[in-house]
Amino acid sequence: MPRHEALTPDDHRDLRIQERRDTALGDARMACIAVPAEFRALQAEYPILFRLNETRDRFSALAMFGFENGENLYLADGGWDARYRPLAIDIQPFLIGGRPDEDGPKQVHIDVESPRIATGDEGVRIFDKHGRPTPYLDRVIEQIGELDHGFREASDFFAALQRHELLEPFTLEVTLEDRSDNRLVGYHIINEARLASLSGTALAELQAAGHLEPIYMAMASLSQFSGLIARRNRRAARG
Amino acid sequence: MDKAITRIVIVGGGTAGWLAAARIAAATAGSVTVTLIESPDVPTLGVGEGTWPTIRRTLERIGITETELLLGCDGSFKQGTRFDGWATGASDDRYYHPFVPPIDADPADLPRDIPYALATCPQPLVCAEDLAPRQRGMPDYAGALNYAYHLDATKLAALLTRHATTRLGVRHVRDHVTGVERGEHGGITAVHVRGSEIVAGDLFLDCTGHAALLIGKTLGVETVDASSVLFNDRALAVQLPVPPNSPIASQTVATAHSAGWIWDIGLPMRRGIGCVYASAFLSDDEAEGVLAEYCRRISVDSPAPRRLTFRSAYRSRPWAANCLAIGQSAGFMEPLEASAIVMIELSLDALLDDFPAVSSLMPIQARRFNALATYRWERIVDFLKLHYILSHRDEPYWRAHRDPASQPDRLAEMLALWRYRSPSAFDLPMQDELFPAASYRYILRGMGFPAPLPSPVPRPLRPDLSSQLRQIDQRGRALAASLPTNRAYLDALRAEQAPISERRA
Repeated sequence: MPRHEALTPDDHRDLRIQERRDTALGDARMACIAVPAEFRALQAEYPILFRLNETRDRFSALAMFGFENGENLYLADGGWDARYRPLAIDIQPFLIGGRPDEDGPKQVHIDVESPRIATGDEGVRIFDKHGRPTPYLDRVIEQIGELDHGFREASDFFAALQRHELLEPFTLEVTLEDRSDNRLVGYHIINEARLASLSGTALAELQAAGHLEPIYMAMASLSQFSGLIARRNRRAARG
Repeated sequence: MDKAITRIVIVGGGTAGWLAAARIAAATAGSVTVTLIESPDVPTLGVGEGTWPTIRRTLERIGITETELLLGCDGSFKQGTRFDGWATGASDDRYYHPFVPPIDADPADLPRDIPYALATCPQPLVCAEDLAPRQRGMPDYAGALNYAYHLDATKLAALLTRHATTRLGVRHVRDHVTGVERGEHGGITAVHVRGSEIVAGDLFLDCTGHAALLIGKTLGVETVDASSVLFNDRALAVQLPVPPNSPIASQTVATAHSAGWIWDIGLPMRRGIGCVYASAFLSDDEAEGVLAEYCRRISVDSPAPRRLTFRSAYRSRPWAANCLAIGQSAGFMEPLEASAIVMIELSLDALLDDFPAVSSLMPIQARRFNALATYRWERIVDFLKLHYILSHRDEPYWRAHRDPASQPDRLAEMLALWRYRSPSAFDLPMQDELFPAASYRYILRGMGFPAPLPSPVPRPLRPDLSSQLRQIDQRGRALAASLPTNRAYLDALRAEQAPISERRA
């Protein structure tokens, strides 16, 4: 069970984090949440899809790593085979403290039950012996800031997508080389026909709010499905 | 008559002999035969326990894994040397000579409140926290920082023996050499051993250490004495066991005393400590007192020391006719900066990079080899001497080191030049200098040599210096955060490699 604590140099001085990427460390997952601010970096590596939450009133964006639960096709030999990792993956086992709708600077929390926390004397320290944050923690804090900022911007982004009816349901069916069928259902993507028919005023509004770039980046990201399928075929071929 | 070189005979075991056997056998892959004759009567002398980063490439070429080395030789990581008490002898007098070179910066532009090595290189920070230069997940012999090893040299020779005989096809003759057979042109044709075998060869390596059986006793090649420059001629060595979980230092610690210095080398189970001194300035009893005082800071009871006598000298021509001296038979320098094993490696590199295919090439290659070897020994003498002459210590020994009559001309010339500029490749032009300009910079700055005076040709401006210095600090802290301690690394390695039964116990 996760157990979240506010990070402090006194309580967590000697903690070390394992940077290895591994199924045993919680990396076996088919997707993670993503924010529009990182779509540009994401689209060079992963397909980006959208999904309604359980109460079907809010959308979120996902970077896709596989075709079924627990399948991460980017994991290989203790590493993550991509030049960019989504912020939500990279900050683990840290998380944004406080409630998501609160304003002001956020605390950094840590899941002290995470398998990512090293049990031995190897792994990267988060505080040095004087209790100062290490460059590793400095980077995580920066990423947490970016992610927090990205989440706040996201609600405007999705509101605009819904206002302009720019999302459409998406189902992907793939038959792999081993003849297995794989289906992704329940996702949404950008409705390209609808985007093409928007008025100049509507496009100008999206552009002014900074939404146009992530829209096109999400569209471009779909070409990464061919890469994802190739990864899956290679894995199946290796057995 | 031009004869192909196909039979290599190595006389003498030890680090030099077995490194030579393994390197040559691995490099020639069966196209020559390698025979090593090792006398059961002659105990091998544990040549220095410090290595240079070149050892990683050497071991990789021989085909020994890093785990085999670390576990088989009780090895630990060495990232440089720390010099305590050399400049003034004051309690805060210490500086680092790390293996990673410094950023290129004019000392006058550097912050005054941070030691030179710490400001210009990320490694001293890592050393100060007893951290390893690598993580266990990295490929063999790769590191986040440049490094070598401290090791038990006797165990290294044993590991090399096993490896060379079982995996590389080296023939091991355990017998005492009783005679040497000479050929028409003054060369060696065979050696006779007590068991009445005659071992014939085309190229003979003299790895007989101080005895210099072939190069000295048989061929009569003279030595060049350096003891008027480097005064130390004695050492007292002890080994102190260390408790489990105690920190293991990341560097050799060299602590100056009134007439020499003390080495301190941390291995997983023990520390090797030795008092090096000049008998002209310190009696054996006094030296024993100096050593005992140092050891008392570490352990209550210190065992009786082993006594060693030596002389800094090198062979004028280590390659004569078809005989090449490698190891102590070629030369020996006092152990400061641990040049013994690296000189063996460099000699083998030079031999294998230009291997004599046929006997007619040997005179040419010998002449070149000898010129290179002399250059290297002279540079070692210069560099070791540098450590002494910049000192401000006042004891007679240190004052004698500062006497210009005891200083090599080339070193004195370089020091005159360095009043106006930092050491550069201009001073040390060889492609693989044992001690490049970076090493000289660490010693000069560490010993408090003044920053260069203004010159009519201004040094290039470095507008990015402050960002480079920030990067060094940042990199040092990032490495300090991500590297395990030497103890954690070596204990985890040992636990992982232990047989299952041992793990249960």
